[in-house]
Amino acid sequence: MLRYLARRLGQALLVVAGVVVLTFAVMRLVPGDPAVAFAGPKATPEELAAARERFGLDDPLPAQLVAYVRDLFTGDWGVSLRTRQPVREDLYLAFPASIELVGAALLIAVMVGIPVGVLAARYKTKFPDFGVRFGSMLAVSVPVFWLALALQLIFAGKLDWFPVAGEYDSSLDTTSPLTLWTNITVVDALITGNWPIFTSTLHHLALPALVVAAYPTGVIAQMTRATLIEESGQDHARLERALGFGETSILTKFALRPALSPVLSLIALVFAYSLVNGFLVEAIFNWPGLGRYAAESIRSRDTPAIAGVTLLVALVYVLANLVVDVLQGFLDPRARTR
Amino acid sequence: MRWHKRLLVAGLTGVLALTAAACAGGQVRGAGGTPEPAKSSGPAAAQTAKANDSTFVYVPNLDVVTDWDPATSYSNEIVALSNIYEGLTRYNFQSREAEPRLATEWSSAEGGKEWTFKLRQGVKFHSGATLDAEAAKKAIERTIEKKGGAAYIWDSVDKIEAVDASTLKFTLKHATPLDLVASSGYAAYIYDVDAVDADGRTTAGTGPYTIDSWQKGKETELTLKAFEDYWGGWTPEQYKKVAFRVTPETTTAWQLLQKGEVNFIQRLNPQLFEQAGMTDNVQTARSPSFQNLLVLFNTAAGPTKDIRVRQALQLAIDYDGLAAAVKGAGLKASGLVPEGLLGHVNGMEPEHDPARAQELLAEAGYGPDHAELKLSLTYAQGDEDQKMLVTLLSSALKKLNITLQAKPMTWSAQWDLGKKQGQDIFVMYWYPDYPDAYSWFLNVFKSEDEPRFNLSYLKDREIDAAIEKLPELMATDALKAEDAFEELQKKIIQERAAVAVPYVQTYQRALTADVKGYVDNPAYPNVVFFYDLERAR
Repeated sequence: MLRYLARRLGQALLVVAGVVVLTFAVMRLVPGDPAVAFAGPKATPEELAAARERFGLDDPLPAQLVAYVRDLFTGDWGVSLRTRQPVREDLYLAFPASIELVGAALLIAVMVGIPVGVLAARYKTKFPDFGVRFGSMLAVSVPVFWLALALQLIFAGKLDWFPVAGEYDSSLDTTSPLTLWTNITVVDALITGNWPIFTSTLHHLALPALVVAAYPTGVIAQMTRATLIEESGQDHARLERALGFGETSILTKFALRPALSPVLSLIALVFAYSLVNGFLVEAIFNWPGLGRYAAESIRSRDTPAIAGVTLLVALVYVLANLVVDVLQGFLDPRARTR
Repeated sequence: MRWHKRLLVAGLTGVLALTAAACAGGQVRGAGGTPEPAKSSGPAAAQTAKANDSTFVYVPNLDVVTDWDPATSYSNEIVALSNIYEGLTRYNFQSREAEPRLATEWSSAEGGKEWTFKLRQGVKFHSGATLDAEAAKKAIERTIEKKGGAAYIWDSVDKIEAVDASTLKFTLKHATPLDLVASSGYAAYIYDVDAVDADGRTTAGTGPYTIDSWQKGKETELTLKAFEDYWGGWTPEQYKKVAFRVTPETTTAWQLLQKGEVNFIQRLNPQLFEQAGMTDNVQTARSPSFQNLLVLFNTAAGPTKDIRVRQALQLAIDYDGLAAAVKGAGLKASGLVPEGLLGHVNGMEPEHDPARAQELLAEAGYGPDHAELKLSLTYAQGDEDQKMLVTLLSSALKKLNITLQAKPMTWSAQWDLGKKQGQDIFVMYWYPDYPDAYSWFLNVFKSEDEPRFNLSYLKDREIDAAIEKLPELMATDALKAEDAFEELQKKIIQERAAVAVPYVQTYQRALTADVKGYVDNPAYPNVVFFYDLERAR
């Protein structure tokens, strides 16, 4: 197990190193002087020179790369040209909100996707199966920004069931201020028993989480269905049938466990994907997360911030893959030798 | 262990790790904000409280504050800081003059090289200190020393003296309209130098509002509250609280406004603006800005060195068509100086005349019967209005056998190329940092050996000499200054054909109908002076 872990970790590190070099290259290869972006559109030559000096932009590229990597290791992810704050601090503020959104979405996806997948497998090629297959296909293929705008217009704008945008009602900051522990609002509100903020956040979370959940729900349902059908054709299912178990118990008692292993790895991968997919959703619902930060950084051509987001997302991807590998090795000993 | 128990263990470990990793723990969000217990007794009290406590919600599309220091601030935070800090004067775009703010009166002597300001009495800083000449002197001197942002506006200042507690005297190196400089939206704030807090926990101004809470990166990034000791006093109808709700998506902002959750949207797109005009409970405001589009022709090299080609290009632009195509985001310009500034000239609207353009091109050896002419143009990436100009101009020039090679670029890349004279046509917006038309002439059309913003590369001694005389005229004789501005614009646009000015940008705002007293002052871009507003009951 340890050797397997070490091998996976080594591979992950290689990927991260590649991403670092690539983001650096992209940052430096885009035309235009980063010093202008920092010093402002009407910067004087002196201000430009000072900015160049400050960020070492006059050094040769390899030396800049070395400095960049060294800074990354010491926790210095550069300074955002837009917010003028260290990128790492900005990310520290934005990332928890994204985790909150994607976490809620995945919770919905798992709670809906797996039962629905079981249902489809149980009634294979019958009406429920067609319904689930059609629904999941739709959920996977509908453009996320369209879904976000449509739900916002209908359920917030017209029906007034949910708020239009935001993370929670900000006037609660004065009436029942939130004590921060994890920086994830809903978790902090739960830990500290701050019910007004907790319920307000859930209320605000509903629409964006549903939108982000669409894609994972669809793929999880499809994957659960497919693996369950495969499992229920295996020898053990024939034995179980012979022993007199009903189809539903065969699926839920015996086939579900082996079928969940690929679903589990799917969830981890879909998590990383949803993080990026959620960018547009965050922008539309004013969710103060990574996506909104990335969108604003791109709009103001804030290269250090864009590089920071890229690196963070890459790290999440790599970590998600690593978790999948480890979990699979943990659940299924055969995986360790692959 | 059974598989689901293992899963449970893994899950629990994850949650524990998450909790443990959150080592920051225990901060209260909105550090500046003080929790207030709900205070009300009886329905009558509750109702008065409601009228007084209504919050005005402003919707910006980007972060509100990047720099809290009133000396160096030079960005979006102008919308907040203009309500927290005040200068000696404030610009009135209708009278085109500076008006009293912290100074009640002022005069200049020595041909605009000596300025004396009388300060308002009984003004308190948010810190509790009293405003006097010594405090104002210290603030301006600190701003100058910091050399950040727009501090250069004080470049002409040689010496500041606090003659007595209420008299501030400036001695200048050269004549400057210092009353206009003092009305600048950037770098002209008077503040308590001992109370400046770069982290935004407290504010050091004299303005009607002070900080309530600032939560960087949050949706409601900033809230302001009334400064009870404000020298202007307070009436019950005024907004005593202000919140800034950052909303990057215009459609989302529009939904929030319709529901009455917010009061003011900084900028709507033309389609939504039209819709807003027809919506109940919403009022719209459209007003010209001080920002205009400049199409600068390379006068130093390439085909546009020939003045006939430049004149033909001026005539080839369909100005009315463009103004219509940008759907109210721009208003056809008259001359180089936007309306509302001293130096604006009426009747200088550009003409569209393709036939005359063709004649001029033929004289220069180009056009349909001659060899094809290729011209390179650079403009701002992502700017839909500039893109519209480029599209219209390309098709107009195609008929004249001119191929426009237009390249959208980031500002830094476009500017880099421009400094190396790398294009025939350079498209950019220009706006002044303080309400003075001088900015266009000094920065964009005065000769430069190493081009910075003179991106038409015009070198004309006569024009230079006339530009040099402007500040003194501005400081001493407004009428003469006006003539000089008009003369210069004729020289630059008509005689030298160095530039075409298609339109002045207009602001398209939307507000809830219950807001009274909103006036857009282009000298302070996107600023709402919340103190001047009232909520209709």
